[in-house]
Amino acid sequence: MDNGQSIIYHAEQDILKLPAKLDYKLVLLENHEDNIVLRDGKVEKMLRATSLSLAINLYLDGRDGFFYTNDLRPESVSNFIKTAFETTRLLEPDETRTLADPSRYYKGDGPDLLNFDASLSEIDPQEKIRLLKETAAEVEGTDKRIISMQTRYADRQHEAHYLISNGFDACEQSSYCTLTSIVTVEGEGGQHPMDGWGESRIFFRQMPRGGVARTALERTLRKIGQRPAPSGRYRMILESPCAGNFLQPILNAMNGQALQQRSSFLAGKLGEQVVSPLVNIIDDPLQPGTRGASLFDYDGVATQRRELFTEGRLMTYFIDTPMSKKLGMAPTTQGIHRLIMESTAPSPLPLWGSATKPLYNGCENEAHPQRGSGEGAATILVTDFNGGNCDPVTGNFSYGIEGFLLENGNILQPVSGMNITGNILDVWQRLSHVDGDADPWETEVIPSLTFEDVAFGGC
Amino acid sequence: MVLQDGKVSQAQQVCLYGAGIRSVRGTETGYAYTMDLSEEGLKKAAKSLKAPSPLPLWGSASMQTPLFSGFEALPQRGSGEGAYRFLLDVEAKAYALDASIVKVKAYISQRMQEVQYAATDGTAFHDFRPRSSLSVSIVMERGGKTQMGYATRMMQMGKEFFTDALIDEVVREAIQRTDFLFSASQIEGGEMPVVMAAGSSGILLHEAIGHAFEADFIRTGDSIFTGKLGQQICHPSISIVDDGTLPDDAGMLRYDDEGVPGQRTILVHEGKLNSYLYDRINAKHFGVKPTGNGRRESFRCTPIPRMRSTYMLPGEAKEEDIIRSVKRGIYAQSFTNGQVQIGAGDFTFFMKTGYLIEDGRLTQPLRDLNIIGNGPEALRRISMVGDNLRIDHSASMCGKEGQKVAVSQGLPTVLIDKLIVG
Repeated sequence: MDNGQSIIYHAEQDILKLPAKLDYKLVLLENHEDNIVLRDGKVEKMLRATSLSLAINLYLDGRDGFFYTNDLRPESVSNFIKTAFETTRLLEPDETRTLADPSRYYKGDGPDLLNFDASLSEIDPQEKIRLLKETAAEVEGTDKRIISMQTRYADRQHEAHYLISNGFDACEQSSYCTLTSIVTVEGEGGQHPMDGWGESRIFFRQMPRGGVARTALERTLRKIGQRPAPSGRYRMILESPCAGNFLQPILNAMNGQALQQRSSFLAGKLGEQVVSPLVNIIDDPLQPGTRGASLFDYDGVATQRRELFTEGRLMTYFIDTPMSKKLGMAPTTQGIHRLIMESTAPSPLPLWGSATKPLYNGCENEAHPQRGSGEGAATILVTDFNGGNCDPVTGNFSYGIEGFLLENGNILQPVSGMNITGNILDVWQRLSHVDGDADPWETEVIPSLTFEDVAFGGC
Repeated sequence: MVLQDGKVSQAQQVCLYGAGIRSVRGTETGYAYTMDLSEEGLKKAAKSLKAPSPLPLWGSASMQTPLFSGFEALPQRGSGEGAYRFLLDVEAKAYALDASIVKVKAYISQRMQEVQYAATDGTAFHDFRPRSSLSVSIVMERGGKTQMGYATRMMQMGKEFFTDALIDEVVREAIQRTDFLFSASQIEGGEMPVVMAAGSSGILLHEAIGHAFEADFIRTGDSIFTGKLGQQICHPSISIVDDGTLPDDAGMLRYDDEGVPGQRTILVHEGKLNSYLYDRINAKHFGVKPTGNGRRESFRCTPIPRMRSTYMLPGEAKEEDIIRSVKRGIYAQSFTNGQVQIGAGDFTFFMKTGYLIEDGRLTQPLRDLNIIGNGPEALRRISMVGDNLRIDHSASMCGKEGQKVAVSQGLPTVLIDKLIVG
């Protein structure tokens, strides 16, 4: 960020020369990325890039403008800031739109979060290509039904320098690398089932060697013969990798903007039990060595471990500085950094495929009451969502799903072309089990979840 | 600029600037981009790819003269005609039309993309691509109940986009959709006939066949339509096009992002699969001409096959006859989002508003239903095509490989004999 230091301070000087005193937030963003796609043993696409950009918030007597440019030539930045100032000046004052209270800023006393691989952009691309080739080789030529396989490696180093006029000057760094495989196979009736698997890490040296392509192929093969199951009410097991999708409408409804715009089904419910008592969710941005870890948010406010749901009770909303003033509520945080849902399983059984765990064994004659056997309830294991939406005001939803119809713990058939419908809070009240199989490398650590009596629409 | 809580108090401006250089060998692509547009910067980016430099064409006559330069932006705040005034007019119109409105949020967006393109095959052009949009969301409260709805428009236009007629049209649509939600409900799911209303129902084509016609998915064999060129895939009364020539349409292209002239491509002609959507790389692979579908979001991305404006040509049936033919089914009217699984061909789209059809009549108002089908099957099950084609100009951004591009779609009223509704 050496070049960036001069750019951000140069921009600050430009702002100080403006014909009015105003507050500002400057964020200089630098990203290094590699993105390599391997198909049929050859590199199909390769992108290496470094980008530098500047985000500017100007606050002038309650007027708030946001400006973003990657044209960082000194003269361009100067002219951009002049235009930004003129635009901001034209706005109508809104006294709620101010910087955060500086007493809430991060003070530089946090731990090393160990979430930045400084060597990532220096690693020889050939080493990344080797990883791709090793990964693809796991399944190449192993099954005649394979039509195509794409394996992708992507990484990013992210650095940001924050400079805020009421007393904040700090930098943050993070990195991630991902390895994904997507496999398409010859299915029944001319269909080409496709599925994939991916793993993410912070450091390149942590990347799994083996398992990703094999898991992708196995997940694809088990989809052959997908068809809708009969409509009805089923027990639903949501597989861990897609469970977060079903939580998202609830997280959206906790947003201060949604509350203020009267478009949240969680308005007025702070402290109430709104979902099953089995739901315990925290946001923990301060665990070193985890993805999503962060010492401060985009406003410079120090992050903290925060309870979102405790035994089903709604513990907080996401309230930033403007929304705090509009709603008359104490500010909390802009959003989630690293979400963790606690397990209720005493001895978790791995339900989902992973390069580092046994592949999908939870339904093979297990007498586990939550796996579709033992209680006689017909069960559908949902492995992915396919479209749909949730109304932000009512919480009524309809989502397309795919997965497996289970009986006595065994797979009866792979299913697709089905919907689940209901009210999101009602269904979350019927949560009966929280597994212990969440992938700790994700930014949302949510295990597989079991819900009772869910309406499925099929054939 | 954003109007919220009665004030135009938020604005955003974004400037993105750079050049991308692509080297292609067969179907292999190397790509680099730079924000340094000096001769040295471009040479350096080309060198990183071990690619020949396109610099000899840089500054050629084709690049000097823009294909279009008539864009004039709506000023932020002018004497009675600026963006600021426009947003206040949107709010005033909404409150004047319905007393149960408690919140109005509106934003307008104006974008100008300047593109200069040169390739070692001698192709070069210089174009300006304007894009303006309006979005209005409404919150209403009645009898202790709250509902929210919205409407949007997007066109490749400048300040001429922002008219009083546009305010009237979009505000009324947002109010109508929100008002509808108070009386609408969900229904028990299952398989049933679905009548797709003319206009935004074109999302059916976008999700059910459009993506699966993109030639990169054909080359890799991923698409369920692979190998079906020339085959009868639906009723002979059905013809479908992907069009880059509709004036001012969000998907209109004078040239695509590979220097191929904008054109109209017939995907399905009288029920037969006539053409896929080709960029240069995949056209070369199949030995055909590119169809002008090589698009990218910005200089940071490589062009890939994408749709433009996808619609079905009108048939002969009257909408009332189509509805009358259904014993029990769904009339799907407006939509929010959709997606498709390319290999299986399974698509979904989310119906925000519609009606139950009982004995050939629209009865119970419906909302929030996900509709699921299989692309080839759904096409085969289209049994009636209306005479009322309408292109929908709602703000519609299509995502693929992390890139978003503006598209539009259209459909006459059609009857699909069976889809899963839930």
